[in-house]
Amino acid sequence: MDIDFSQKILLVSELVGHDDRAWHVSWNPVKPLLATCSTDKSVRLYAYTTDPSPIFALHTSIPTGHSKTVRGIAWSPSGYSLATASFDANIGIWQREEGDDEAEGEWECVSILEGHETECKSVAWSASGIYLASCSRDKTVWVWEAHPDADFECMGVLMEHSQDVKCVAWHPIEEILASASYDDTIKLYLDDPSEDWFCFATLTGHASTVWSLAWAPNGRYLASASDDRTIRIWKRIAEHQWECVLVLEGHDRTVYSVTWGIGKSGETEKGGEPLGWIASTGSDGRINVWALEEPRDSTVRSPPKFTLIARLEDAHGATTKGYEHLIATVGDDGIAKVWKLVST
Amino acid sequence: LQPKSDIIASARPTTRRRTAQARQSLWLLNDEDDDDSTTYHTDDDEPEPIDADEIFDLIRFISDPEHRSMTLEQLAVVSAPQVTVAPSHILVEFTPTVPHCGMSTLIGLSIRVRLLRALPTRFKVDIRVKPGSHQSEHAVNKQLNDKERVAAALENPALVDVLETCLENVGRRGL
Repeated sequence: MDIDFSQKILLVSELVGHDDRAWHVSWNPVKPLLATCSTDKSVRLYAYTTDPSPIFALHTSIPTGHSKTVRGIAWSPSGYSLATASFDANIGIWQREEGDDEAEGEWECVSILEGHETECKSVAWSASGIYLASCSRDKTVWVWEAHPDADFECMGVLMEHSQDVKCVAWHPIEEILASASYDDTIKLYLDDPSEDWFCFATLTGHASTVWSLAWAPNGRYLASASDDRTIRIWKRIAEHQWECVLVLEGHDRTVYSVTWGIGKSGETEKGGEPLGWIASTGSDGRINVWALEEPRDSTVRSPPKFTLIARLEDAHGATTKGYEHLIATVGDDGIAKVWKLVST
Repeated sequence: LQPKSDIIASARPTTRRRTAQARQSLWLLNDEDDDDSTTYHTDDDEPEPIDADEIFDLIRFISDPEHRSMTLEQLAVVSAPQVTVAPSHILVEFTPTVPHCGMSTLIGLSIRVRLLRALPTRFKVDIRVKPGSHQSEHAVNKQLNDKERVAAALENPALVDVLETCLENVGRRGL
């Protein structure tokens, strides 16, 4: 199949170090740090420079003290705290000690959040940094409020899913939480004025487990990746109503991860308003990148226009995070890779 | 910090050695019973072709969790015709002994673990119960093919103990 892609995916850096499968990778939103986590129970932090081109080097390896796989990691919006989600059912909160200068502080565990009964799969911070969400095979989603001195208070235990919850993701602007589950659905949650968190919508449509979620940077869309080999794009058609407007195909096996970034600025492929780039990967080892745009004549329910702009086979594993034109992926081989997209 | 080159890449041999070490670090025991004929890790880049009989050979001597002195082959749970092989993809269908078999997930898991240890990582493995052979076919298949659930199960020491018992005799040659 000959497709002319407008972008090429080039390997920038290959980071070997984890002794076992790497599960998740996360870019610090403020500082030049990339975090990875693994079945080897460690978190590795890589520092990087991007000028003139990206160079990555190990900054530190944190032996987290989790007794099982570290499955997910999330940086707080301030870039100051890191949360770890582990199969040991606990969540760790990590901060760097104040050292003599920026470079000296050790990363230490400032809090352990207990409560889940079985493996914790994902953690995510709200845009304000006030809330942390977690989810687990115990079918629940927990919302924690972050207080000073790393004191986290549980604000809600949401038991809406009928199966294992795989991923939680916060809206980029509002305090809306989304969760994805082995029960094939996505649920959306809000904080009620009477101070209870509740589920206000269930998005159905996927034919199998939903593994990953990514909100569009403008907050008007949500992307979901599923074992059914598709990515669904859900559009906000009313304040509390989301509907599937597009199904993206392009994977031969389970799609484990989807991410939505701003992409590169410039002309759009089809003349509409740019919505950013979606990158996805999964069991087939392929990375796909789509450019999405809002058509000029769009209506409430009209789907975005989409173009597959790049594809790479055998990347190795699960992707996350689009950071401008850089994508990071991690895989079963324990390796983290950083890729850049270049115009062809 | 002055960047001198654009690309940092690890040398291939190191990567492969680390991967082999990593695979061993997952397990409580080394798979000592593996003999040369079941080693598919080559030193060069040429992938070894593999056929259904070789896959069957890997799994036929797995013990049934309930009837430990019987193998999956003896109980007709696995058979060569139920293995489908494509260049990098393997499908193993197995037939539980009874339609409500509570051990089905465990049997499926033992097949998966055996193949995970014995095959190069480029193989994608799907494991399913033979269609129509189990009451909760969909539920069993879904668990067996959920990478995360399998990984978490393998961090459960009690479950791993049972699996190791089922896998004790897998390297045994046929009579």
